Amino acid sequence: MTAIDIKLKPRRKSARPVWDEEPSVLGKAVKALFLICYGAAIVLPIWAVVATSFASEESLASAGGNLLLIPTDFSFAAYQEIFDGGALTKSLILTIGLTAGGTALSMVLTIGAAYGLSRTGSLLHRPLLMLVLFTFLFAPGLYPSFLVVQKLGLFNNYLSIILPMALSAFNLIVLRSFFMNSVPTELLDAARMDGAGEFRTLFKIVLPMSKAILAVIALFYAVGYWNIYFSAVLYIPGLETQPIQVVLQRMLMSTQGLPGAAANVSQYQSAAPDAALKMAVVVCTIIPIVIMYPFIQKHFTKAVITGAIKG
Amino acid sequence: MAALQTSAPPVSPPGQDRVIVKRKRTVAQRFRSDWPLLLMTLPAMAQLAVFFYWPSAWNVIAFMDYSPHRPFWENPLVGFAWFERLFNNPYFMPALLNTLKYSFANLLFLFPLSIILALIMHSVVSTKVRSVFQSIVYLPYFFSWVLVVTVFVQTLGSDGLVSNWLLDFGGDRLSFTSNPDTFMFLAWLQWAWKDAGWGMIIFLAALASINPSLYEAAAVDGASRWRRMWHITLPGIRPVIVLLLILHIGGILSVGFEQYQLQRDAIGYQTTEVLDTFIYYRSVIGTEGPSFGTAAGLFKGVIGLILVLIANSVAHRLGEQGIYQKS
Repeated sequence: MTAIDIKLKPRRKSARPVWDEEPSVLGKAVKALFLICYGAAIVLPIWAVVATSFASEESLASAGGNLLLIPTDFSFAAYQEIFDGGALTKSLILTIGLTAGGTALSMVLTIGAAYGLSRTGSLLHRPLLMLVLFTFLFAPGLYPSFLVVQKLGLFNNYLSIILPMALSAFNLIVLRSFFMNSVPTELLDAARMDGAGEFRTLFKIVLPMSKAILAVIALFYAVGYWNIYFSAVLYIPGLETQPIQVVLQRMLMSTQGLPGAAANVSQYQSAAPDAALKMAVVVCTIIPIVIMYPFIQKHFTKAVITGAIKG
Repeated sequence: MAALQTSAPPVSPPGQDRVIVKRKRTVAQRFRSDWPLLLMTLPAMAQLAVFFYWPSAWNVIAFMDYSPHRPFWENPLVGFAWFERLFNNPYFMPALLNTLKYSFANLLFLFPLSIILALIMHSVVSTKVRSVFQSIVYLPYFFSWVLVVTVFVQTLGSDGLVSNWLLDFGGDRLSFTSNPDTFMFLAWLQWAWKDAGWGMIIFLAALASINPSLYEAAAVDGASRWRRMWHITLPGIRPVIVLLLILHIGGILSVGFEQYQLQRDAIGYQTTEVLDTFIYYRSVIGTEGPSFGTAAGLFKGVIGLILVLIANSVAHRLGEQGIYQKS
């Protein structure tokens, strides 16, 4: 009798644990509605941006606006404009260069210091670590930083964008605690017994074991350099080729009919529809992030959260 | 002083807790074995020295009548005159109040939103739904403010997507991407769009670290869904909430520059002026001079330093671990 009862029971569909009561239909519906609305509020604008970037003049005009939700035709005019070798192409190349160079420099600084400070009790370990940690508590201020860039002769020099933000103390501490907690000490001791120096240990043992977290940190740095706007406004206002975010800001100002950008925008005026060109630039700034994103997501929670918050 | 640790301090692995008798080594001996470590640390230290500690030292010009056109030592000391001038500046108080307003609004709005999002996500059982939704929600965190503001103007601006729909249905255009009275609402939407997903991920990670057998035991004892949330979930993520609160309180005068600067022309400077934009527009490209801007920045930095230390000691007193441990 009991055996039949058990057989007749519907099988649990989800992975909900046995002790957890099934939520009410209303509760489920409200939750689903909330999640769908929230997701749509994020996805729809991005979709509209992509759709508009491929729109032609006529379809934009008939839609009567800056953004389209449903594309009626396809036109690559905006993208041809971006990659035709003009000001926009230069800006994209510059931004890619700054991102690549900056990330490489940042990684050298971060890996070096994270490994150098990972051995408690080494010479000067504690005072140097304090110097790093103090940066969490205090900020030197906008004007003094600006003054130092001027004194170094880096004003209106692309280096002034990379160098001041080359080291993130947060990333350094995250990587250091990974080196300290997740690389087995026995392995390091064995390497030292075999006569490997610190550099050899770092390159042959520690770095190959830390690929995932290194990739995440590199991607965080890369996103930071890719999104540079304020330091460009502050440190290189006089240079002709500006990072892509600055270009995008100038285009935005011009469509809002605002002062402050009019003089600089003429160089981006083009045959492609205005809105489509602007949205194509937006797509170009989004694409690298979307490409890097699945990777960040895959390793992010594991690497950064456990590294930073759980210690 | 271990930074950013909320859980128990690491326990040394078994086998290492035996007492190791070490001969005291001289500095020269330690240098001979540790010089590669120092060499590796050197580039980062050089960067910190030049771009953190050197500008920090330049803050002394807040107490001088500094002019770049004379040798440094010939600049007269003027005490707190620049701070007096700062507090008497008619634009300073509004900027300070705006900064506090946006900072608290962000705290009161974004924090609960992130926690609620995380709780909802945590209660979703299907892993597929969770992973899809997570990837969508925290994508915009990696977008720049320029991008976020552009997307907002294009969708919610007076010529934007929603305005056109409203026109089609016989309504009026939206005006709130250029209306100072509704800027706070706009800022909320922007935070919700850009940053809430990130907050959610951090709280989700904290939620995931709660031992599920606690829930099971409570459920067996007859605790309802809500009681379990109140007695297990919320205490479980309390250390993370406290940590983020301390970090937020320390940065209470740093609301960021870009979101406000980018919307300054559309909204008007009265509403969007925060301390950072104040320093930039009045001093860096304005007429008030280096000492004035430095005084404003130093005011901000010192208040931030004091607030972090206070918040952290309060957290210690409440039995939380804070951002660093007493050692």
